[in-house]
This record gives sequence, C-alpha cells and structure tokens, in this order.
Amino acid sequence: MAVDKDINVVGKSCPMPLISLAKEVRNLMKGQTVRITGNDPLFEESIIEFCRERYHEIVDTTRDGKIVAMVIKI
Amino acid sequence: MDKKKVTILLQSGDLDKALCAFIFANGYASLGTPVTMWFMIWGYNCLKKRRGLLTLFSRKPDPAREGTYRVLETDNILQPMVEMLNRGGAQHLPLSRLNLMGLGPVLFNKMLKKKCIMDLEELIKSADDLGVKFKMCQICFDALGNSADDLIVPNVEIKGVAEYARDTMEAHVNLFI
Repeated sequence: MAVDKDINVVGKSCPMPLISLAKEVRNLMKGQTVRITGNDPLFEESIIEFCRERYHEIVDTTRDGKIVAMVIKI
Repeated sequence: MDKKKVTILLQSGDLDKALCAFIFANGYASLGTPVTMWFMIWGYNCLKKRRGLLTLFSRKPDPAREGTYRVLETDNILQPMVEMLNRGGAQHLPLSRLNLMGLGPVLFNKMLKKKCIMDLEELIKSADDLGVKFKMCQICFDALGNSADDLIVPNVEIKGVAEYARDTMEAHVNLFI
C-alpha cells in the first residue's frame, strides 16, 4: 500500500510513538496517508485514541508478530 | 476539539514528578490540545541550565533583560546562596523515593534509556516543539534568584496568579503535581 509518509517507531515506548506521529502529521495535508510501525504493547491503543481525538481515519492495520503497522488517513 | 484546554502546574522539583508532568503534557499536546505548563517554587528546576559553582557569584544579571521580572535592588547574598544549593538541571534532579544519595536518579535514567523511554530533557524539548506554553511564577524568579535567560527553553513567560486563575478557569483539565 502506497503511503505519503512512513514512520518507524519500533523499539520506542509510550509516549514516543504519539509524539513522532503528531510531529509528522503537522507537515501533511488533509487526505494524505501515513504509515506508522511500532511494537510497544500500548502502541495500537494509543494510535486509536490519537485518531479518535483528532478525527483521523484508520485505513489499515497489519500485524506481524508483535510489530503492528497502521495506515492513517489525515 | 478546539475548545478543550489543559493546564499543568508543576510545583515539585523531583525527577519522577517532573517526568509525570512532562509525559502528560506531551500526550495532551500530541492529541492536539493546547497545553499550558506552569512552574512554581522547585518546579522550575527542571528548566534551569546547570551552572558551574564558580560562575554563580561572579554572574551579574543584565538589568535591561531582567528588569521586569526581578527586582534587582532588593537582591542580597541569599539569592546566590539559594542558587548554589539548588542548582537544578533536568538531568540532575533527585528522586522523591529511593534517591540513595544521588545514585537513584543515575540508575533511574539508565533504566529509562534501556527501555527506550525519553528522558526528562528530551521530553522538555519535545513539549516545546509540540507547542506547549511555559509560564512561570514571578515570585519564584524574584525571591529565589533566577533569571529568565537561564532556562533551556526559549519561550517562557513570567506571569502572576491572576493569569493562572484565568488559565485554569478556562481549562478543562488542571493537574497540580
């Protein structure tokens, strides 16, 4: 799946995934997509909270063992 | 979503509590909520630049920059003495429990690093980057002998209790740590 921006936060703990996502989202336009990959135990939950609070849409979630990749539409 | 606001008042100068305050601030700010952080008494220690002991007494605050924040005429020997005993610095704060005469914070920071959790200084920088506003209590600057150009974040406003009251009444969440 082609995305406009790819963020890798594998190995980073809360709140690092949220912070890096928030920083990247600032530079993106509405309608663009971003993929974020992480393996923090709370990663998926916090990204879902993030999207709910900021009205972003989660397009796709793929799991590979502990690593979760989520595609978000801004 | 745009109407929600958060204020966090950090009063304590302990590493664990400051870490708490800054993790909350980063969390709220990354969800897009405007955050204002207030610093009182020992809370400003985490924003202070760590100075060498020898430079403390020789330092003359610049009256042109500090005039509005600090009444230099009423300063005496006690202000540099407080500064000497309370030097602050984000990487040098004590823990509220298990301090072990200064060994505790070193081990604590090691644990954070091993688990890839940001340390306090990185959290402060990232909060600043995410647009968190920093405001400070004027009496702390005045009585405890600080200077506004001695902090690791550039945009710090020095305000009074009226501003704090207005800020907290507008906010939906107010944390006092």
